[in-house]
Amino acid sequence: MKRFLYRSQLGLHIVMLALALLFLAPLLWMLTTSLKTPEDIVNGLGAARWLPRPATLVNFHTVLNNVEEFPIWRWTGNSLFISLAVTALVLVVDSLAAFSYARLRWRGRDQVFAVLVATMLVPGQVLLIPSYLLIRQLHWFDTYWALIVPAGASAFGVFLLRQFFQTIPVELEEAAFLDGCGPFRVFWHVILPLSKAALATLGIFTFMATWNAFEGPLIYTDSLEMRTLPIGITIFQGHYNIQYGLMMAAAVLAAMPVLFAFLLFQKHIIKGISLTGLAGR
Amino acid sequence: MQAEAKALDSGSVSQSLSTRSAAGGRSGGWIGWLFALPHLILFFVFLLGPTVYGFFISLREWHVLAKQHPFVGLANYQAALSDDIFWIALRNTAYFVFLVVPLGNLVSLLLALGLGQVRRLQTFYKVAFYMPVVISIAVVAVLWQWLYNTQVGLLNLYLGTMVNGLRQLGLPLSAFQPIPWLSDPHWTMPSIALMSIWWGAGGNMILYLAGINNIPPDYYEAARIDGANAWQVFKSITWPLLRPTTLFCLVFSVLGAFQIFGQSYVLYGGGAGPGRAGLTLVLYMYQQGFSQYEIGYGAAIAYLLFAIVLAFTAVQFRLLSNREESRS
Repeated sequence: MKRFLYRSQLGLHIVMLALALLFLAPLLWMLTTSLKTPEDIVNGLGAARWLPRPATLVNFHTVLNNVEEFPIWRWTGNSLFISLAVTALVLVVDSLAAFSYARLRWRGRDQVFAVLVATMLVPGQVLLIPSYLLIRQLHWFDTYWALIVPAGASAFGVFLLRQFFQTIPVELEEAAFLDGCGPFRVFWHVILPLSKAALATLGIFTFMATWNAFEGPLIYTDSLEMRTLPIGITIFQGHYNIQYGLMMAAAVLAAMPVLFAFLLFQKHIIKGISLTGLAGR
Repeated sequence: MQAEAKALDSGSVSQSLSTRSAAGGRSGGWIGWLFALPHLILFFVFLLGPTVYGFFISLREWHVLAKQHPFVGLANYQAALSDDIFWIALRNTAYFVFLVVPLGNLVSLLLALGLGQVRRLQTFYKVAFYMPVVISIAVVAVLWQWLYNTQVGLLNLYLGTMVNGLRQLGLPLSAFQPIPWLSDPHWTMPSIALMSIWWGAGGNMILYLAGINNIPPDYYEAARIDGANAWQVFKSITWPLLRPTTLFCLVFSVLGAFQIFGQSYVLYGGGAGPGRAGLTLVLYMYQQGFSQYEIGYGAAIAYLLFAIVLAFTAVQFRLLSNREESRS
């Protein structure tokens, strides 16, 4: 018996399962609440009923159809467009730069790279005020530009990709060079195809971080049409306040895309964190 | 972490190889510049530039609507240091860091230790613990506002059931008083900390797990042969060998925790919470800069935060120095 317990790790699994449920419970509760009627939310079995009775989509209906006050489709579209645009920008700009720092030689390269690495310790919140003024001066306030272009400045992706590129054997490039390839063709035909996993990791990180970004959209936009989903949530909150069914429906809608993306790519994401040592937030 | 160090090592090997790298060797250097240029432009304009610019703003009296922004030297900093509300915000932020960094890292480490042991279902557990990390703070805060509801929130419902159950078993407990999680100043920061730990523990957990997986199995084998128990194994193998990971996680936890903003902002609708107990440094900077339009004063608060974070980071990097030498 003792041997069986040791082999099957039963005790350990009981503890881990309990913890996993503890971590998942808030998310499940969010989903449950979003499917409940107002009476069920406040009264159902002392309000702690895990299965909605009756289950209803009316909250989602309300949230999605009040487009005058809450243009949730527009916000979703904004979030999607901005996240995709930032991801594309970061992948292009960072892979080019990372290739340069990893493989090409130019004067001052290592010093510039050291500055890049050092700025990863600058707390992002310090940039909010000067960036706001800069965006005003560029007449980018309340436009997509404000939420897309500055996001390409981060050194995180350059650091991540450089580290990966350096693990690619130099011999491969030399062979390509002997075949008459210039640096760009080496980059395009040798480095990039070998780096799909790293590029995917950076892409997913960037997408999720942009989707969830809070301070930037809060400060660099102000019209209802230019908001993103996370800011939209706070606008809902200001209006529906304690109508938790509606709030949770909105929360579910905002959380679903990233949760799906995460479940789909969890292997890449978790591997990416352990390899780069940065949680990407 | 060791994987990272290893990647850096092999990086430096291939870097020395790259001195004879075909691509770099013969193309003069301006091509290398060109590859780095698009990112460098963005970096200078939107990161390095604003970092420096922000300091100049903090030296001026800068009201958004004013045409002139006169130079006032360190007056904004002096104003902050003699501003009671600034000190409240600093104290709250420090309290949050003090709660969230040790406890959050402890949770992450314990979860990672559990994950390191299990032979099945590891992916399921990992995904479950990491899932909150990928959600926006706006969603997290709105959700926890519901869980923290004093009358019908899940937390108080279950705590009430638990306390009443224990009373029926004859334990000398007083009747359960619903906890005012978000409306009592004493509970504000602990509540925000609990929520933040749930939100973020999965991130460091993965790093700790990577560190644990990098400890050579031989050590554990040797300990097993010597008949060491689980605690001895942890104390004399896992913990010391995990030190670099632990310090790394602590540095970035401190860096992140000092910047807390979204939690208070969403929970208290941009306000400061009961008795200003939810006011943090970044929230105060936001209020000064974007509600009062005192941009110069807001920038000074941001730079004081920067200085504090930098000091903390420097102290911790001292502790990390052996590792960091190989890093740069």
